[in-house]
Amino acid sequence: MKKLFVLFSMIVLLATASFADAPPPAAPAGEAPASAAPSMAQEEPKPDPAGLATGDKKDAVDAAGNAFVVAEPTDKTAPDYAQKKKDFDDYQGQATKEPLAVKLADTVGHVRIATNVAWTLNTGYLVLFMQAGFALLTVGLVRKKNAAHLMMLNFAAYVFAFIAYYAVGFAFQFGAVAVNAAPTNLGGTPTLNHFLLGSGLWGFLGGKGFFLSGPAYDAGSHVFALFEVVFMETAGYIIVGAICERITFWSFLLCEIFIGAILYPTFGCWVWGGGWLSQLGNTMGLGHGYVDFAGSTVVHAVGGFAAMAISIVLGPRLGKFGPGGKVRAFPAHNLVYVVTGTFILLFGWMGFNPGSTLGATDLRIGVVAINTNLAAVSGSATALLFWYWKFGKPDITMACNGMLAGLVAITAPCAFVSPTSAFIIGILAGLVVCLGVLFNDHVTKIDDPCGAISVHGFGGLLGGICLGLFADGTYGAGWNGVGATTYLGQAGRGVTGLLYGDTKQFLVQLMGAAICAAWAFGATFIVFKAVNAVKPMRVSKEVELEGLDVPQFGLPGYPEDAPSPLGS
Amino acid sequence: MKKIEAVIKPFKLSDVKDKLMGLGAHGMTVTEVKGLGRQKGHPELYRGAEYTIDFVPKTKLEVVVAEDQVEKMAEAIISAAHTGQMGDGKIFVTPVEETIRIRTKELGREAV
Repeated sequence: MKKLFVLFSMIVLLATASFADAPPPAAPAGEAPASAAPSMAQEEPKPDPAGLATGDKKDAVDAAGNAFVVAEPTDKTAPDYAQKKKDFDDYQGQATKEPLAVKLADTVGHVRIATNVAWTLNTGYLVLFMQAGFALLTVGLVRKKNAAHLMMLNFAAYVFAFIAYYAVGFAFQFGAVAVNAAPTNLGGTPTLNHFLLGSGLWGFLGGKGFFLSGPAYDAGSHVFALFEVVFMETAGYIIVGAICERITFWSFLLCEIFIGAILYPTFGCWVWGGGWLSQLGNTMGLGHGYVDFAGSTVVHAVGGFAAMAISIVLGPRLGKFGPGGKVRAFPAHNLVYVVTGTFILLFGWMGFNPGSTLGATDLRIGVVAINTNLAAVSGSATALLFWYWKFGKPDITMACNGMLAGLVAITAPCAFVSPTSAFIIGILAGLVVCLGVLFNDHVTKIDDPCGAISVHGFGGLLGGICLGLFADGTYGAGWNGVGATTYLGQAGRGVTGLLYGDTKQFLVQLMGAAICAAWAFGATFIVFKAVNAVKPMRVSKEVELEGLDVPQFGLPGYPEDAPSPLGS
Repeated sequence: MKKIEAVIKPFKLSDVKDKLMGLGAHGMTVTEVKGLGRQKGHPELYRGAEYTIDFVPKTKLEVVVAEDQVEKMAEAIISAAHTGQMGDGKIFVTPVEETIRIRTKELGREAV
């Protein structure tokens, strides 16, 4: 099985390489599709690998999002046709009189896109660094005899999930993003415009951009791809915290490929790729459709519930539950790593949430950044004080879990809520993670060494639901194509939660969060229950007791345990 | 010659070392160890689940001295390592058959 798996992986890698060697699509840089005449609009848009045609006067907008260029109205029967036609004629007149202004607008538009590209790439790099934080956090939380195992899992998660996402995941998730959810801050990626499953407002899976080639070989698309692949990686490494200390390496690689290629991109398409959940506002009048700003559910709950499914398939670590279900502690072996890792994750989250505007020209980033921090500290304080009160001593690892739960829960609502709400969301998350850890230990008996299910699964669901409660309508006008001019009878009103008068938004948030948990848990459980039936995914009892480091990877984790002769 | 082995509280090591060097000890060997004595373990909680810390960290100090030095060295260790609390440690004295300095091949008392 192991040999077969390695062989299969190599075939995939070779196929990938040969695909990448194919000549790139012809896209003469000088031929700017952006300046095409309206009559050419029917033609398939061309990718722009050099970025020379991305960002022109059409991208020049003011702070409120009003465009410099006024488009010619086409629908002569529209009630406001006369006004729009007059605006267009005025613009044309001005443009003829002031050609230099039009030229300058080209520069302004390009600089706007370039600013957003710089922002998005750099916040993406911050998210990438979360990988290091997670490696430290999880290795610190387990027993010393499994340190090399944890390092390898965190490392391989990045590598193999990345390859899966590059091959098919990105295309499944964003292959049709231009249809309903074009990232206009980055130039719109007009070439990613085809659903593989579904169409129009009922898209289920994207269908362009496999191997990031062809229509995806585009400067703007690649900025987007970099930012999105590191988000997928987050879902990928979340599972490590729940399934470690007992899983075989080959089956872990299967888990990562499954998450990067199928599990994550599918739900991601439904919410961020312009898929059906995001369009429920347009199709069924449910608020702004399902909204998740930076991924409480899309990223964290998907990872958390996949982790729960695999943890159940594997079963608890030997000795975790004694006779009569008595819970045994396997204390963390390095709290210094746990706290350092948690702060690296907090730092990385400053890319995760504010970066999800995909642009620094969206000044809401200030609110997003402060909300993210507030939920982190209130979540941490709540978990710390709860444990202090209940057990007499504050537990450092639970304080860290509380900070991460606050971060996870604020990730969906961060752009739509006030700082007060963010603080409250953090408190709720701190309670949820404490109760979640106790619930899994004492009721479900699901063994979760690092608290990943409680932090990311339960915390993620809470985040999706809290958006439907606390969104105050100050941000997100026109989100998912709903209420661009007015919403709930108010011009400029954005995504609004139950507490501010939009019951339907709350309902669609409940529904979306439930679908997320059902999809992530259900699909993962079915797939890996089957895999486990073919060949057990768990290491032998002897290996588990000895620690996985030497039997699985040939080396212990720490220098003091290095097998070389003493003193050499 | 005798070997004095003292298992003491780690934070007393510096005091004990100073006392022994002051009395003319030429060297010593120190190891970080864990042990269980009458002090016994104590229950703790990790993420809400109970566990026991059975073996507590101690420092083991070994020093080889001439027979006539044993008593005052042992007394020095006792006075420096004493707190009066449980877990102060123990001293073991054992005979040493031979001592050899590797560099000069000196034997016995000269080699200590």
